[in-house]
Amino acid sequence: MTVLLHIDPADTRPLYIQIMDEIRRALVVGTLEPDAPLPSVRQLAADLRVNPNTVQQAYRELEREGLIYVRRGQGTFVSASARPDSERKTISFQVAERALRDAYRHGLSVRELITAIDETAGRTTTPEIKSEGAAG
Amino acid sequence: MTSSIPTNLESENPAIRTSSLAKSFRSNRALAGLDLTVPEGAFYLLVGPNGSGKTTTMRILLDLVRPDSGEVEVFSLPPGSRGALVRAQIGYVPEGSVTGYEWMRVGRLLEHHGSYFPSWDVKYAQSLAEALDIDLARRLKKLSKGETRRIQLVMALAHRPPLLLLDEPMDGLDPLIRDRVIEILVAHLSETPSTVLASTHHIQELEKLADHMGVLFEGRLLSQNSREELHRTLRRYMLEVPREWSGAPELNDAIVHRNGSGPEIAWAVWGEPEQVAHKLKDSGATVRNVTALRLEEAALAILAGKEAE
Repeated sequence: MTVLLHIDPADTRPLYIQIMDEIRRALVVGTLEPDAPLPSVRQLAADLRVNPNTVQQAYRELEREGLIYVRRGQGTFVSASARPDSERKTISFQVAERALRDAYRHGLSVRELITAIDETAGRTTTPEIKSEGAAG
Repeated sequence: MTSSIPTNLESENPAIRTSSLAKSFRSNRALAGLDLTVPEGAFYLLVGPNGSGKTTTMRILLDLVRPDSGEVEVFSLPPGSRGALVRAQIGYVPEGSVTGYEWMRVGRLLEHHGSYFPSWDVKYAQSLAEALDIDLARRLKKLSKGETRRIQLVMALAHRPPLLLLDEPMDGLDPLIRDRVIEILVAHLSETPSTVLASTHHIQELEKLADHMGVLFEGRLLSQNSREELHRTLRRYMLEVPREWSGAPELNDAIVHRNGSGPEIAWAVWGEPEQVAHKLKDSGATVRNVTALRLEEAALAILAGKEAE
């Protein structure tokens, strides 16, 4: 199994943070499960075309957070105790923060933003978003 | 207190250190007091306009050019008196053509070059040449700019030196090969931890590899920082300002670049973001948005700010 991580050079988050967030995302959407192996530093650096030190830094931070662990000589794995639910929360706060900043930049209030999200979700033509919106 | 963007980089054990380095070619001043610090293991991007001194800097590090004054050390050795020893530890991609006999074929050139380096890895050189689509039977006089670049890259990497000096390594390469070169550099760094000093006009292409950047202008550094420091401390503030706004004099030294004249303006400012935002609010401005800058944006803001002076 391979994990597809996407990083965006135009994104102003530091690259190692982007890698960390992408691994969180993979956990939440289920492409990475507890105890699943992560690509080696070398492999991921080559795939993403980033400095191996950057991948190393992302892995180090994730290990410190307890989200992944290193088994010596075997590689890096997702912790059995990694909880998609709590990562889900982390991600939703990040998405909200981005939306809020953007709203503020456009002079919109929090209320206006929330109303717009609800209304947009109601009439979007993207079926996946629509069904989720209805369920929530 | 606010301060201007730092040009001084602390490093306990730098791979490269120069201080007050100066060099003129006749009346042309190439370097005017360069204080460069490249920490060991760094991927350091040296950027700046043509003629700002990037190539001269590299040539001094290799002792291909002697400085008029100032000090220079590579792995704590002075290139001026220990040139051969220093050069043995460097892989160099020069700007321009390969030096060799015009009748020579590429394969022979690589053999010849390799014979100078005890650590030359023949197999690695072959695999690099293959990955870069190099025709070993070509004669040197027939080489295009792009072919030359690719061969120089093999010559720089195949002895796995602890220091790489890459002078515009992407120049003349087509997009596919550029991507291949990045891939090769990443794999190389995974296998052979090394320090890299790279000059480029195409910051974007090397942006994902770089962890330090120095902006060179007229032979001196306008800034020299780790990527993390730049990212955290140099920010673009989008402001709405009142009609008769008198600016933020307290921040004057820290403003790297000003854009726009109101009511909406964008300033690149050096400083702790919370403090800067606070001072901007105190001055009567509304801070609409604060963003970090990509390396390329940062370099452009720093250079544009200098040119506006």
